[in-house]
Amino acid sequence: MTNGRTGADRRSGMPPKKVGNGTKIPKDHIGKKIKNKVNLFSVRAGLDIPFLFIVLVLVSIGLVMLFSSSYAYAYHNYDGDSFYFIKRQAIFAVLGIAGMIAISYFDYHHFHKLTIPVLIGSWILLGIVLVLPATQGVHRWINLGPVSLQPSEIAKFALILWFAHFVSVNFRKMNTFKVGVLPHLFILAVTVGLVFIEPHVSASIILILIAAIMMFVGGVDKKWFIIAFVIVAVAALLFLTLTDHYASDRVAGWLNPFDPPEDVDTWQTQQSLMAIGSGGFFGLGFGQSRQKYLYLPEPQNDFIFAVVCEELGFIGAFLIIILFVLLIWRGITLSLRAKDKFGMLLGIGLTSQVGMQVILNIMVVTNTIPNTGISLPFFSYGGTSLIILLVQMGIVLSISRTSAVERS
Amino acid sequence: MAKGTTIKMWRRTLIVLIVMVVLGFGLIVVSLIRLQLVDGAELQKAAVDQQLRDTTISAQRGTIYDRNMKPLAQSATVWKVVLAPAYIDKEDETLRRTISTGLAEILELDAEDIYERTEGTSYYDVLKTKVETDVKDRVVQFIEENDLGNAIQLQEDYKRYYPFGSFASTILGFTGTDGQGLAGLEAYYDEYLSGTAGRLVTAKNAVGTDMPFQYEQKVEAQDGYNLVLTIDEVVQHYLEQALEEGIANNQVENGATGIVMNVNTGEIVAMAVKGDYDPNNPFIVADEEERARIAELPEEEQQAATTAALEEQWRNKAVSDTYFPGSVFKMVTLSMALEENVANEETVFTCTGKYVPVQGERAINCHNTSGHGTQTLVEGTMNSCNPFFIYLGQLLGTETFFDYFEAFGFTEKTGIDLPGESQSIYHDEDMTLMDLAVESFGQNFSITPIQMITACAAIANGGYLVQPHVVSQIVDNDGNIIETADTTVKRQVISEETSERVSKILQENATSGTAKNGYVAGYRIAGKTGTSEKIGADGKVGSDDTYIASYCGFAPADDPQYAVLVYFDEPTGSSYYGSAVAGPVFAKIMNEILPYLNVETKYTEDEAGSVGVSAPNVIGKTVSEATNELTNNGLKILVKGSGDTVIAQAPDPGSSVPSGGTVVVYTDEASMNQTVAVPDFTNRSLSDVNYLASQAGLNIKVTGAYNSSAATARTQDYAAGEQVEPGTIITVNFVEEDTVR
Repeated sequence: MTNGRTGADRRSGMPPKKVGNGTKIPKDHIGKKIKNKVNLFSVRAGLDIPFLFIVLVLVSIGLVMLFSSSYAYAYHNYDGDSFYFIKRQAIFAVLGIAGMIAISYFDYHHFHKLTIPVLIGSWILLGIVLVLPATQGVHRWINLGPVSLQPSEIAKFALILWFAHFVSVNFRKMNTFKVGVLPHLFILAVTVGLVFIEPHVSASIILILIAAIMMFVGGVDKKWFIIAFVIVAVAALLFLTLTDHYASDRVAGWLNPFDPPEDVDTWQTQQSLMAIGSGGFFGLGFGQSRQKYLYLPEPQNDFIFAVVCEELGFIGAFLIIILFVLLIWRGITLSLRAKDKFGMLLGIGLTSQVGMQVILNIMVVTNTIPNTGISLPFFSYGGTSLIILLVQMGIVLSISRTSAVERS
Repeated sequence: MAKGTTIKMWRRTLIVLIVMVVLGFGLIVVSLIRLQLVDGAELQKAAVDQQLRDTTISAQRGTIYDRNMKPLAQSATVWKVVLAPAYIDKEDETLRRTISTGLAEILELDAEDIYERTEGTSYYDVLKTKVETDVKDRVVQFIEENDLGNAIQLQEDYKRYYPFGSFASTILGFTGTDGQGLAGLEAYYDEYLSGTAGRLVTAKNAVGTDMPFQYEQKVEAQDGYNLVLTIDEVVQHYLEQALEEGIANNQVENGATGIVMNVNTGEIVAMAVKGDYDPNNPFIVADEEERARIAELPEEEQQAATTAALEEQWRNKAVSDTYFPGSVFKMVTLSMALEENVANEETVFTCTGKYVPVQGERAINCHNTSGHGTQTLVEGTMNSCNPFFIYLGQLLGTETFFDYFEAFGFTEKTGIDLPGESQSIYHDEDMTLMDLAVESFGQNFSITPIQMITACAAIANGGYLVQPHVVSQIVDNDGNIIETADTTVKRQVISEETSERVSKILQENATSGTAKNGYVAGYRIAGKTGTSEKIGADGKVGSDDTYIASYCGFAPADDPQYAVLVYFDEPTGSSYYGSAVAGPVFAKIMNEILPYLNVETKYTEDEAGSVGVSAPNVIGKTVSEATNELTNNGLKILVKGSGDTVIAQAPDPGSSVPSGGTVVVYTDEASMNQTVAVPDFTNRSLSDVNYLASQAGLNIKVTGAYNSSAATARTQDYAAGEQVEPGTIITVNFVEEDTVR
């Protein structure tokens, strides 16, 4: 193994990869069985600095932009307290980063055992949220005093964990219907069903997309995806044609945001598009957004990227998108080099969840798809989601400690 | 059991990554390119439109002053009340009711209408314009009391006022609802008067308060420039009064116009059109009879009739009407003949009552069908003999005639700074000799009154055709002169010598010729009458028996300063002749304006007798001393009261009293309150008038053709029966009725 290849690499026919001469994968981990006992914080190899760096940069830019986008709204809605959102988000960010670093030392293999408890736990939380009183007409949040918890965030993690665990154990039979499809349909039906009746359409979509990615990577036969795609397409068409004109009006409003049907309110989309357009190439300058002055509703939440586009222009928005691409690229690269399938699948799931959210959020903000509530990772205001997100990044970092990737 | 990634997983992960990056991130970058780089400007405009509140700051329209800086048209601040329903909470029923009922009461509007308008989403819904300051103050109070902030806004605006009502309205013109000049000087000089509106651009957040950062751009309004006219308010006033009187006395159907022009500078000192309107309310038909007539019309005809009546009242006849100048034009033909030397003062022509100018063509009658007999050129002018002028025309020939016609400016607009100047209609140099014959005495070509007086001014001033103008200076509010109108001499048409000779002939004409009704003692009036047939409804000249009576002249003949043209459209009284209708009005105007304009008097020996003497000061003297002094001055005395000493006298010391007139002296306080009734002098002879006046203790000043034994009193400046102070000077105008055109 002078060139640093592992046996696993050779067997799986992985393309040759370079591992720096100075890099040592801890001996005690190589070839260890998953079921072998490991100490909780036994991981000693360094975490992936580029990934950590990208996360920290995104969190910093996110905080700065959150402050810029929220202060007018906060001033107006929280008795002149311009710092209302940034104060809270900054605390959550600090907590989240601490959590991220901590969890990176935690051997992710312990999550094998936690798979079922986490899944059942997320279902219980999703059940609890349904019986709790609705906030703004929907059952999404469990109020815990100063913070509130979105069980759907837990559900996403639970689903990723479920697939990582199941596939890593049963990867040889994943191409069968009995193992590769059936159990997951059940798990997915329960999770998505509970989220859908909150109602929380966007979270449902993300859950389905996560499941699809995990199953695809996990080796499920392609025909099932084609069948699923056809079913979804037909269902969507039926939904559009059979349900009253509500759905078709929504589509019309999406296609013509500046001239929507009467019963469709596209104000938020209009304001978002004006903000993005106002930015032009170089933007109006940091802090110079005008649309955040109460034109764009809740600019600190799902539509924060519109303010980013307005203030930093195409160039700023593009650089931020590049940062996200690098994050995902790095995250997936780290995962692919994970020393086992569980780590690899967990990393891919967590990373692509971030990718999905970013893509869908910006598509909503740019009206590329119809408006549905998806927050922008690291940017949108929201305490628990930021903490959970950072903890998830911590898990990716934990995986990176075992990953046979060239480190800079 | 394989631990790490299988090749299949590796491949599938790569597919996921590529799909995510290319399809997902690729698509959002494409969206951003489209929104920010392709449609960016459009979206930014939409954003700016909603973020910026662009308010117009009205510019104050310039003032129009007469030559002595008396304001004739000025703008005062008024307010515009604007509703911004976008800032009103539609759910708040009470608030909307408060606003609608409150504003309806203050602004006298319909509450229900305002209530419905509070439902809107606009930021700018004008409720009422031209709101006076006192009403605006109540609105401000209402806004403060109910804390309505942005929902109701007030904007400064201006309203045009014409302090003298219909005075000089056809010159001044008027403005529309947005303050734009629509007629007269208001339209002609709109660019100067209107100024430049300013803008206030402020950034507002979605609830209408200012954004916390500085985003305000203010472009101050540039107030309009002021016009200083050549018009003299006093002269204008005399002119208008005289025209109104002339219209009333002669039952003139179609209005009248008069122009007073400085012959040397081209300044229009006064220009009036009667049958005019009040520029404060230009869209109301000013003529009550016409208004009543329209009201009786069927509904569907009223609109058209009103429009026609409005256009008629706005029409500046002095520059927009064209007419046959008639015999007034003979002064032009006379000038041509003397200048070309085809005739002189001694040239003799025999009028037989008709004349065949061109062999084989029809004969043209003289107004005196029995003929004027043999007359010199001077006599021919004084008789206004048509055949004589046909003869002069034939001597000149078509080409020469037309050259002068052109040189006198009858083929071009004068270029006066008023809108709507009409183009004249005439025969060009290819005219026939028959055309020439008729044109020689002013028929069959149409010119504007302003062209006629401009030509008259050239005849008077030494032959120089000047451009008439109404505005002398354009100044800004700080008194800086922006533009000055200088005298523009277009060309010299006739020599100074010819000018003097024509003036002399015209002076004789106004003293004892057909124009003598325009005579004013001491002022050496030169003038010419004109009676022109109008084109009838069938397009033929004279078919309706409608006429324009005019008089055009200038004074003093030996040093011409002012020309006056008066023009009555369709007189239907006892006479329609220029001499009888326009002459007395001309005399009245000259008699009033020349002293005011400080034109020196010079009396001939004949005139001296009827000319006033300066009343000596007899106050403080005894009655007998006063009697002696007044008698020595050729004046009569009328003593009022029972005292011995004169405590007051009328007319005042130093004022001019006609020779042989009466000075009333008062010897006690009680006597000073006595008044006398003015006798009715109408149609009396000069001696009768003098007798009646002395009986009443009044003084008479005569104007017009009083030297003629056939003349009778036509008008008096104090109405019969009016109570006046003894000794008051009554001006009586004498007119000789004749049939001279």
